[in-house]
Amino acid sequence: MIQEVRVTTPGARDDIAGKTLLAEIRHLGITSVTLVKTARVYRLEGITAEEAATLALRLLSDPISQVAVVNERILGGAPVVEVAYKPGVMNPEAASIMKAAHDLGITGLVAADSSTEYAFYGPPIADEVQRIVDGLLVNKTVQRVVTATPATLLISGQPGACRTIPLRTLEDTALLELSRDKLFLNLEEMRVIQAYFRQADRDPTDVELETLAQTWSEHCGHKTFRAKLVVNGNPKEPLITRLKTAAAEHGQLVQSSFVDNSGVISFFDGLAVCGKVETHNSPSAIEPYGGAATGSGGVFRDIVGTGQGAKVIASTDIFCFAPPDLPAVQLPAGCLHPHYLLRRVVAGVRDYGNRMGIPTNNGSVHFHPDFRAKPTIIVGAYGIMPERCCRKGKPQTGDLILALGGRTGRDGIHGATFSSGEMTDRTINVNASAVQIGNPIEEKRTFDAILRCRDRGLIRAITDCGAGGFSSAIGEMGADLGVRVALERAPLKYAGLDWWEVWVSEAQERMVVAVAPEHAAEVLTICQGFNLEATMLGEFTGDHRLTVTANGQTICDLAMDFLHHGLPQRIMTARWQAPRRCEPTIPHPSDWAALYRRVLSHRNVCSKEPIVRGYDHGVQGTCALPPYGGVQHDGPNDAVVLQPIADHPYGLVISHGLNPVLNLIDPYAGGLWAATEAIANLVAVGGNPRECALIDNFIWPFPDEESLGQLDRAVDACVDVMRAFKVPFVSGKDSLSSTYRGKDGTVIKIPPVLCVSAFGRIPDVGKTVTADFKMPGASIRLLGTLQPSAMGGSVYYDLHGHLGTVPPTPDLAALPGWLYELHQWVCSGFVLALHDISEGGLAVALAEMCIGGNVGADINLDALGLDARPDFILFNEMAGCFLLEAGPAQYEDGGLDFVSFPMRVIGKTTEEPVITIRHGGHILCSIPMADLKAAWQQPMKEVFH
Amino acid sequence: MLFADGTNCDAETAHAFALAGGEPETVHVNQLRSGAKRLADYRILVIPGGFSYGDDVASGVILANELTTSLASQLQTFVDRFDTLVFGICNGFQVLVRSGLLPYRPDLGKRMSATLTTNDSGLFECRWVPLAVEESCCIFTRGMAGQDISLMVAHGEGKFVTGDGCLDDLRANGCVALRYGNNAYPDNPNGSCDRIAGICSFNGRIFGLMPHPERFVRREQYPNWRRERGRQPDGLLFFVNAVHFASDPHNFTA
Repeated sequence: MIQEVRVTTPGARDDIAGKTLLAEIRHLGITSVTLVKTARVYRLEGITAEEAATLALRLLSDPISQVAVVNERILGGAPVVEVAYKPGVMNPEAASIMKAAHDLGITGLVAADSSTEYAFYGPPIADEVQRIVDGLLVNKTVQRVVTATPATLLISGQPGACRTIPLRTLEDTALLELSRDKLFLNLEEMRVIQAYFRQADRDPTDVELETLAQTWSEHCGHKTFRAKLVVNGNPKEPLITRLKTAAAEHGQLVQSSFVDNSGVISFFDGLAVCGKVETHNSPSAIEPYGGAATGSGGVFRDIVGTGQGAKVIASTDIFCFAPPDLPAVQLPAGCLHPHYLLRRVVAGVRDYGNRMGIPTNNGSVHFHPDFRAKPTIIVGAYGIMPERCCRKGKPQTGDLILALGGRTGRDGIHGATFSSGEMTDRTINVNASAVQIGNPIEEKRTFDAILRCRDRGLIRAITDCGAGGFSSAIGEMGADLGVRVALERAPLKYAGLDWWEVWVSEAQERMVVAVAPEHAAEVLTICQGFNLEATMLGEFTGDHRLTVTANGQTICDLAMDFLHHGLPQRIMTARWQAPRRCEPTIPHPSDWAALYRRVLSHRNVCSKEPIVRGYDHGVQGTCALPPYGGVQHDGPNDAVVLQPIADHPYGLVISHGLNPVLNLIDPYAGGLWAATEAIANLVAVGGNPRECALIDNFIWPFPDEESLGQLDRAVDACVDVMRAFKVPFVSGKDSLSSTYRGKDGTVIKIPPVLCVSAFGRIPDVGKTVTADFKMPGASIRLLGTLQPSAMGGSVYYDLHGHLGTVPPTPDLAALPGWLYELHQWVCSGFVLALHDISEGGLAVALAEMCIGGNVGADINLDALGLDARPDFILFNEMAGCFLLEAGPAQYEDGGLDFVSFPMRVIGKTTEEPVITIRHGGHILCSIPMADLKAAWQQPMKEVFH
Repeated sequence: MLFADGTNCDAETAHAFALAGGEPETVHVNQLRSGAKRLADYRILVIPGGFSYGDDVASGVILANELTTSLASQLQTFVDRFDTLVFGICNGFQVLVRSGLLPYRPDLGKRMSATLTTNDSGLFECRWVPLAVEESCCIFTRGMAGQDISLMVAHGEGKFVTGDGCLDDLRANGCVALRYGNNAYPDNPNGSCDRIAGICSFNGRIFGLMPHPERFVRREQYPNWRRERGRQPDGLLFFVNAVHFASDPHNFTA
């Protein structure tokens, strides 16, 4: 018997969920609905109606603001729709309700579920309710509309099976059919597998095939980055080799790079910091909330899964979407609208990071129409740990394999192989099970227990269950020794999974640790203390085989050598040819004030503060330089500075850079710009360009010859940046599936994205600087050399509908020295404010500094001595240039001057909140700050109201 | 420092107490339930911020339920002592409100007389807000009345709403310890009635607030310390007062 409790907040004004939904309904263009009311529905199995009434009163409702009923309707007089998670999608709330009921002495409760009802008031237009349900409420991959009370909440199923696949006899076409939508391997790889089993004189099990498909997936195997390349007919070293070779030349700070779940560099006092940046594009494209949330969850696990365990101290988020006002007709079949994607992705990152207590404090959002087929969702995380546990652990023969954290379910099957495939109009339907919702509290418990175990010296090696689940985590951890796993021990969310599903499921919030037998009992005790499930799955054998059994039956028996080294190295050809475009003719501006406002309200420039306010960026108490600061806390800063150890002044600086539009002109220039921007952002707050490390994320279309040619150039840029700045990349990720293929033959290549993240150490967070102008009457100086002839890819060109041909190109020979000189001046304390020049150019940097400082500015472009159009000077996006505020002459400025970095005084800050720009002896414009600020803040306020 | 699944502001809150001269110890709620640790051995019970049990059903409700069922008698004894303090920050304040400890009622867990509900904006709000420290009987704000301070808020359910007569009682008994500096959004970030940001029990020993004082106990934690060089860390005084009281409850003066 199921009891139903419904809870609502009476009074339209207080039903915030209803009000929020109504605003979103308005955005869909539906005006017939005038009021939305919501109610929570709790289904409770195994208890009496009286007990349900007790729970309703004591637990499920709040007597001050809510009312509750048992086994009756609570919303009426309008169409009511109930939305719930699909059976099998774990609802984290269920476990909490069970626990609380037990605390209240109600012990008969055997299952619980929760869902939400929505009532739509106004003239009833049935198909509009359906549009609301489809467009805003139900993501069919994880949710459904409930039409009848279920008979039971318990999920039953038959115990799992294991099948043998008759592979040895298959023809090529049958091999490819087997691979399609399931294994995502190519014919050559399928043939290698076939040959292995012909040699073994038996057919594989489904578990074995799935294990190989996961390990050999592009996601896990990085086949393109490891391939032998032929570019324009000339052989070149594999991409990954080039990156690793150059990185190894600059490894002074490096503790561990490209081998563990994150890259690790030295911090201070015997501590190390690590960073990892991941992408979660494919899951986020079809279920943005869960996709982005589990993206964060996954990259957090990479951090705690580094060395013998690190504490996660920061989260970052970098997104690329189509414009949120994209007309619906331009949306490719099977794709979700960017307005919905943006809001839901932000909510996913917010809810996971906030609940984990990990501050999200660096990020950016970029918009381009070509992201309409697939967004780019980049999530990063950073951690800290003692140096003695910062290197990848090695299990020993006889060590035990323990699984910690969440249970295994059908969620997240095929994430690794799926994300390696291209997006098609079938993606949403075929791959629904690849999507999961996260349970951050489960992950929090897991991390709490792991860090306690680490501090007690109990962990030999650790890794997270990410792509490929147990198959990848255990298979990789045991690569050198061999492992034996008794899979029936794995705790399941529900019965009915086949063994291969248990083995490859990417169910969230699970970690695998290697523990010496004598420590196992203590690990289990610690886990129990944190309400964490821990299970001994198997052991490291020394026989160099991957053996998996289920109730004594062998379901997988593969040579580790074949699994990890059997994948044939690809030989791939690439072609690069600069695109043929004409340099556009841009009319001379007439209305400068309107132009300035248009640039500031360009979506790649505008304030992203409403997103940041939803992220808890202050938790852990470590933030020493926040994303937004200044008089009204609304001026943007270039990077974040954390003080991770409360009683020491040491700082961790985190920044990033990317410019997908430049990659459309030349990925080499885009790569240089991205890396320069990342380092310039780091320096702009006080980071040391000589004591940092970089992380790459390549999000690229499927590597056909053309795309691979572009990728080759981007990698070359990264290599040149390493050699110029003498800083290494220590971690990276490639995601080469940004191509959309529609049923009608439409092919959309999402713009190639290279995101470069930077993190570095400084000895004293007190020696840092923010971007907000600190006083009127101070001098404003431009550092660096603008390139007004290089307007390619600029926001200014974009406003005119052009891409251009000449991208801004940083001077790699000079810039490293210049930035170090600037860093030393920042440390001296005489720099009052500093901001780097990026999208929107000098004009945007100036406006942002004025907004932060609540002052105006009066600048004269003639001071630059450039023979160029004033619009090109103002809006040139030369990375590695800065605006700097120094005290007026009557103040002590320490003789602030630069020996090498070109510097010009261009004007001064003013009490009057107006920006005045002079050129050629005339005033180009004189605009009130209030107008500029409103233009800059408006676009995201419209999305996040 | 009471720790439960999802507690996440424990380390910085412990640091704040240590800076103030206290000896914080983090105790898992399971240790209290099993008897491995006893509330009777402590002077201050802190419920730090976070998302206890994921804020499932509503913020703080699962932990509040645990406190008022399995731990009810320990908690009642602790609160009834003259020399103890209870301090709930953010999620901890939500727990105190949902367990009936704030606004204080002697019949623990039986009824709530106020609630903390979804912010008017419908959004999680992480921002610095101006606050006014009020004349009240609160031990934690002793000596601070009349000060205008700044603290960070970071919550989605912080709108303080009172039941019948509750607001008048709070005012009459000097239990409103902290108000948001202005009533307009975003300075009143959640739409709380009467700008209430923090309240205490009538004896001043139980205190809950939505802002995070533990996030401003060092100069560099304030975003604008570079422009406001003389600014003292506003959050530290709450902890200093608590430690002074706990050290010598008979002779406590700010």
